[in-house]
Amino acid sequence: MLKAAYRIAWKDVAGDLRRRATLSSMLFFAISVLVVFQAAFEPDRKEAVRLLPGLLWATTLFTTLVGLGRVFQAEEEDGAFEGLLLASVPRGVIFFGKWLGNLLLTLLVELLILPLTMVLFNVDAWTQVPAILGILGLGTLGLTGLGTLLAAMTRGARSRETLLALLLLPLTAPLLISGVQAVAGVLQPDGVVAPWLKLLIIFDLVYLAMTPWAFGWLVEE
Amino acid sequence: MVRLEGLQHRFGQQKILQGINLEVHRGECVVLYGANGSGKSTLLALLSTRLTIRVGHYFLDDIDVNRYGDMARDRLLFVGHHTHLYGHLTPVENLLFFADLRGLDLSESRLRQAIDAVGLSRSADKPVQWFSAGMRKRLALARMLLAEPLLLLLDEPYSALDAQGVGWLNAMLNRYLESGGAVIMASHDPERVAALPHRPHHLARGQLSSMALPGESEPC
Repeated sequence: MLKAAYRIAWKDVAGDLRRRATLSSMLFFAISVLVVFQAAFEPDRKEAVRLLPGLLWATTLFTTLVGLGRVFQAEEEDGAFEGLLLASVPRGVIFFGKWLGNLLLTLLVELLILPLTMVLFNVDAWTQVPAILGILGLGTLGLTGLGTLLAAMTRGARSRETLLALLLLPLTAPLLISGVQAVAGVLQPDGVVAPWLKLLIIFDLVYLAMTPWAFGWLVEE
Repeated sequence: MVRLEGLQHRFGQQKILQGINLEVHRGECVVLYGANGSGKSTLLALLSTRLTIRVGHYFLDDIDVNRYGDMARDRLLFVGHHTHLYGHLTPVENLLFFADLRGLDLSESRLRQAIDAVGLSRSADKPVQWFSAGMRKRLALARMLLAEPLLLLLDEPYSALDAQGVGWLNAMLNRYLESGGAVIMASHDPERVAALPHRPHHLARGQLSSMALPGESEPC
């Protein structure tokens, strides 16, 4: 079953790297957001540290939305989604594979935009990079988990990208707030991190426990 | 091997299938004829587990498919109007994807053998997006050689195939039936099906009835 999930993720990631479709859009979008923010605020170092958590999570959220809008795009052609559902693996495994592919692409973008953000905003917090990446990664687990489910749900809708954003933003608000507070805690000398991390983990567990089951129910006809 | 008891299906208020009963044994091919919209594709979608059975029973190899859909999917293969192929992948990669999702541990040479058997060896490493409809159909049918299912469900299998492709498909289906596999096929093409030993059935107003083969008297 793990092999099946891996193969679905491989198909999405390798296919995307080959076509340079989703990843390049996500990266282009993330860089544009950061450049616009930098030009708009021109923050000094102190202000930049205060802005960085929100900036990072806003960029992550918008970039994730770009990726989620295309997560089932490959399945649009020639009934490929139906083909997935006819596989002799539980539907939860199919969901896991789709989520994993999306997660890997999003993590890759985060890995690239974090140093770029720090350079653009002149934030000298390089020693905190592993901790910030860890928090971003932790939040991205839940964000992409719920997002993949909602992407499957809105797959056939005419204005699916708008619908996806409308559903994802309120449902992931608690996770995003926890993520922003946890990064802020890392960047400040006397910052509080642990309770926000615990909340992030709880939201991840809830989203990731619920979504494979909900996917199976969602695709039943 | 396949047993359908009182299968019914409706879309909204519209009844599509009403009390379908059918038995298909090993080595048998049942062909479903009927006008457009008579429910042939719906019946195949139910048998493939793509649609959920709400009323009636469906047993495949003594497995209650309503309850154990995952197990049943392991034993059947559905090739419909869509080929379920990914355009950005090559035939080898598409078959590898299919094999992994089905839990088959196959070497690349085995995959290439199947591609060769359907006459696509020269295009084995080209993305499928450049393939014609007939080539895509052949590749979809190559899955059958890898999966060796107990039950093969085919929806208009001859569409998009040229004369050579039809001959090749019928030869492959004959070998498959001789090896003990069962086929349920929807078709509008009795001439092409004639090369296969089969039992024709007619689907009309949601009901299935057996038909006589050409040269046979009508069944009682």
